[in-house]
Formats: sequence, structure tokens, C-alpha cells
Amino acid sequence: MPAHRTRLIVIVLLLAFLVTMPLWASRYIVNVGLLVCIYVTLASMWNLLAGYSGMVSLGQQMFIGLGGYTLAVSSMYFKIPIYLSVVFGGFMSAILAVIISRPVFRMKGVYFAIGSWVIAEALGICFSNWKYVKYGMGMFIQPAYKLSMSGVYYAGVILCVCSVALVLVLLRSKLGLALMAIRDDDKASEAVGVHIFRCKFICFLVSAFITGVAAGVLYLNTIFIQPFEAFGIGWTVKLLFIVIIGGIGTIEGPLIGAVIFVLLQQYLSEYVGYNLIILGTLTIGVIFFAPKGIAGALEEKFHIKLFQIRH
Amino acid sequence: MTEYLEPLINGILLGGLYGVVGIGLSMVFGIMRQVNLAHGEFMILSCYFSLVALHLLGLHPLLTLVFVPPFMFFIGYLIQISLFNRVMQKGMEPFLMISFGLSIILQNALLLIFTPDARSLKTALAIKSVNVFGYLHIPLIHIVNFTVGILVLLFLHQFMKRTYLGWAITAAAENETTAKLMGINAKKVYACTMGIAAVTAAISGILVGMTFTFYPHSGTQYLIIAFGVVIIGGLGSLPGTFIGGLILGVSQLFGGRILGPGFQLLSGYMILLIVLTVRPQGILGGR
Repeated sequence: MPAHRTRLIVIVLLLAFLVTMPLWASRYIVNVGLLVCIYVTLASMWNLLAGYSGMVSLGQQMFIGLGGYTLAVSSMYFKIPIYLSVVFGGFMSAILAVIISRPVFRMKGVYFAIGSWVIAEALGICFSNWKYVKYGMGMFIQPAYKLSMSGVYYAGVILCVCSVALVLVLLRSKLGLALMAIRDDDKASEAVGVHIFRCKFICFLVSAFITGVAAGVLYLNTIFIQPFEAFGIGWTVKLLFIVIIGGIGTIEGPLIGAVIFVLLQQYLSEYVGYNLIILGTLTIGVIFFAPKGIAGALEEKFHIKLFQIRH
Repeated sequence: MTEYLEPLINGILLGGLYGVVGIGLSMVFGIMRQVNLAHGEFMILSCYFSLVALHLLGLHPLLTLVFVPPFMFFIGYLIQISLFNRVMQKGMEPFLMISFGLSIILQNALLLIFTPDARSLKTALAIKSVNVFGYLHIPLIHIVNFTVGILVLLFLHQFMKRTYLGWAITAAAENETTAKLMGINAKKVYACTMGIAAVTAAISGILVGMTFTFYPHSGTQYLIIAFGVVIIGGLGSLPGTFIGGLILGVSQLFGGRILGPGFQLLSGYMILLIVLTVRPQGILGGR
């Protein structure tokens, strides 16, 4: 299968490009690469919910905020090694996901979107009124000063590769089949024995865990965390733009979208407002003219597809 | 006792305002089965229009209620015709995402034009307060808000019941296909609905601007309040919206009084989450 082989070569080349980057690129480029990796991870997790499981979440920032704050608290107050704190953030996010899963799964469609958003907002208010985490002033994650750039970068790369691989594995498994059945017809799929709650729960849990870990890596780089920024809707805005422009319900979508987003953000960094206006317009255009995004359009027109889920 | 009377009365008055904040969102949901995430930005956009009129013409903010809402009607109408009508048949997600994109575009456009500074539509009303029985202080602006809010809700109710457009809107909401067979142009009806929703957003926006300070990003906060009102009362129900507003207003002020001002918004969100979990169709929602 030559198509299969080219695909494999492209993936290996991409990986080699990512892994060797700190050896030949400037610090600035490595930082851009790290941002791309983090956004690919976050966007893939949003895509797993919105694109594959029919849960359009507007509350991913609750896992980002919780992951970031767990990192800050456990590394500063409890002196836990910093990379362990990052993973710990993922566990805290997963615990939050378990706690809210029962009520949240009672909300369908739009209600889920609103409900998840309101939970994130409520958490933001709680953290900004909590003395332990220094109210709304935010926290400096001091242990993160000592980390080397390439260390954080490799954490980002590992996370990014693992999360894309994990989505691929999940979708190729029985769960992927079940999700597709639910998406096409939830009543019929339930009738033939698909356990809807369990399928959605697994996706929600995976998404929460990885998002929490990714937030940890993100704040290793940012160093400063503040509740209204960490729990702000701005995160989900970015993820939504990335996934829709790249292609919702595709694995390549978040990759393409994240690259476009980060490049645009860097290119227009002096004009903060403009990049969101451009991205918003682009997103609306994509919804009208290419509902499957850039990845979907590439596949339709040129039959280019990097990752195969079904043959 | 009197300690709790003040938040109760102010909460009820605030609830009247919240009812108008939510009514546009509720109408769009009830009639089109869609959720407009740009609703808060419609409000804040009207605030800034009013602010510009204030500075250029020196008008009283209440006078801008005469021309800002009609202007917003056209904006809502055009947005529905040019954007939303194209995705009406494709389920809820495209509409949700387009309106989300629109809200971000509007927010950042306002940010670029007006800078992130806090603004308000300052009037003498905001400072004056009415003294009831010598010990209750009720800000005059809250009474104005409540009165205008009730008037808008009553007017809308009569409008839907008595005018041709109101009937057409109700018909299209009940059954689009049959409405089309009866010669109703559903797309135009939807555009008018969005226009009316934008009018209510404009009215509530100007009232909010007179009562509180606002920023280009304030729309999000009022969108969540609108959600709260509408979900507590039941999406698409007119009297429910009013009751939802009252419950949210009272619970916010009580939460603020008991737990401290930082928790005012939080107590509203908590009520909202409880209703979402226990009774997602709202207190007065039928389905």
C-alpha cells in the first residue's frame, strides 16, 4: 500500500521535525512550537467531545483553570516535584469531571453547552474569592522559573503526540464505533446495546484529564496564573476557532487549526483585537462554505488524509 | 427582618430588568429553536451606541431609547437574513457556533474602537434613591428599570397576541411547513424575530448601562444572566422569563447579603445549575 507508506513517512518526518527542533531552532521558534503542541492537545480534546461525542462544551476552561491551579498549589505549597504536579493537575480535573458528570449528562445539546460554561464561571468566582490561592491577584508558579525551555518543550511534544495517538486509538476501538452509532442515531444505537452514558463518560474523563495536564504544561511556560484568565471563556473561544477552521470531527483538524491559530497570533501579536476578529470571520466563513473545515476540504478535493480511522 | 427586606425589594426590582435581559434569548429559542450567543453583545453594542449619542448630541440616556432600539432592529434583521437564515435547517450547532463567532467579533471590534475602559451612561437617576418609611433605601434607577421592564414584557405579550406579525411568528414557531403553506414567509418572520430580540436587547442594554458600568467584554456576563433567567423560567415561555428574572435577581442579592458581595454572581449561578440539573425545561417550561 503506497498510500499507507507515504502517510507513515509524513508522520515520521513530522515527528522528527518536532523532536529535533530545540537543536536547530531559536528560543522563540521553540516557544512557538510549544504553543502549537499545547493548542493541538487542547483542541483535540475539545474535538473529542464536540466532534465525536456530540457534546459541544463551552466549559473546557474549568479543566484548564483547575489543572493550572493544582500545579501552582502542589508545587509551591506542598513542594511536590513540578512535573509530577502537572500530572496531578490532570487527576484533579478528572476528579472534577467525575463529580459533575451525573448532573451535566442530564443536560442535552445546548443545555450541556450552557451548563458546562456556568460551572466554569462559578469555579472562577470561587477561586477569586479563595484566600488560599491569593484571591483574584493570582499566583506565580516560582519553581517553574528554574525549568529549561527545552524541558518544557519536550513535555509539550510528548503530551501532544500522546493525545493525538490516544484519540486515534479510542476512535479505532469499539468505543469509536459506538460513538459513531450514537452520533448517527442515539435511540437506535441504544436499542442495539450501546451504553451511551458510559461512552460519553469515557470521552469526558479522557478529555478532562488530558486538558488538565496540558494546562499544567501551559502554565509551566506562562508561570503566572490568575482566576478570571484561567477560568475565562477565552480558552474555549480559541479551541472552537481552532477546531472549526481545521475541521471538526477530523483528527487532522486540530493540528491544522492550531498551526494557523498560533501563527496568526504571533504575526498579529501587536494587534490583540484583530486576530480574534479575523479568526471569528474565518470561522463563520468555514461553517458556511466548508462545514468540515480545511481538513475536510482537503480530503474531499484531493483525497489527502493523514490518519485513517476506518478503511 | 428589615435587614432582608432591602435585598428582597431590590432583588425584585432587579428581576424586572433581568426579565428584559432574558426575553430576547427566550424568544429566539421559543420561535426558532436556536440559541443566540451574541445576545449579550447586542446589549453592550446598544450601550455604546447610546454612549456615542450621549457625547455627540448631549441627550439623556432614556431619550436614546427612542432611536437605538429601532436601529438595533435593523441590525438584528440583517444579521438573521445574511447569516443565521442560511443554517436554520442544519440543527443547533452551526447556529450556536456562528453566534459565538459573531459575539467574539463584536466584542473585539468594540474593544478596538472604545478601548477596554469602564464606561457608564451617567445620569442623575443613578445617585438618587427613594426613602420608604424612613429606613429603606431604594435607588430610583431600579424603579425606572423595573417599570420599563414590565412595560416591555406587557407590550411584547400584547404584540404577539394582537398583531399580524405576532400571529405569523407564533405560526412559524408552531409548524414551519404549515405556516409556509399559509403564505407566511418563514425567513422574513425569523428575521423580524431576531430584530425584536435585538430591540429588547437594546432596551435592556441601555438600562444596564445606566445602572452599572460596562466594558467591551461585559456581554458575556449578561449573556449568562440571560441564560439564568431563561433557564430558570423555561426556554421560550414569556411569563416564565419574568419569574425567572425575579428568582435570579432575588437570589443574587440574598447571596450577596449573606455570603458577601463577591458571591453575588455565584449564588445566581448555583440556582441556575440546580435548575439545569433537576428540571432542565425550567420551572414554567412545558416540554
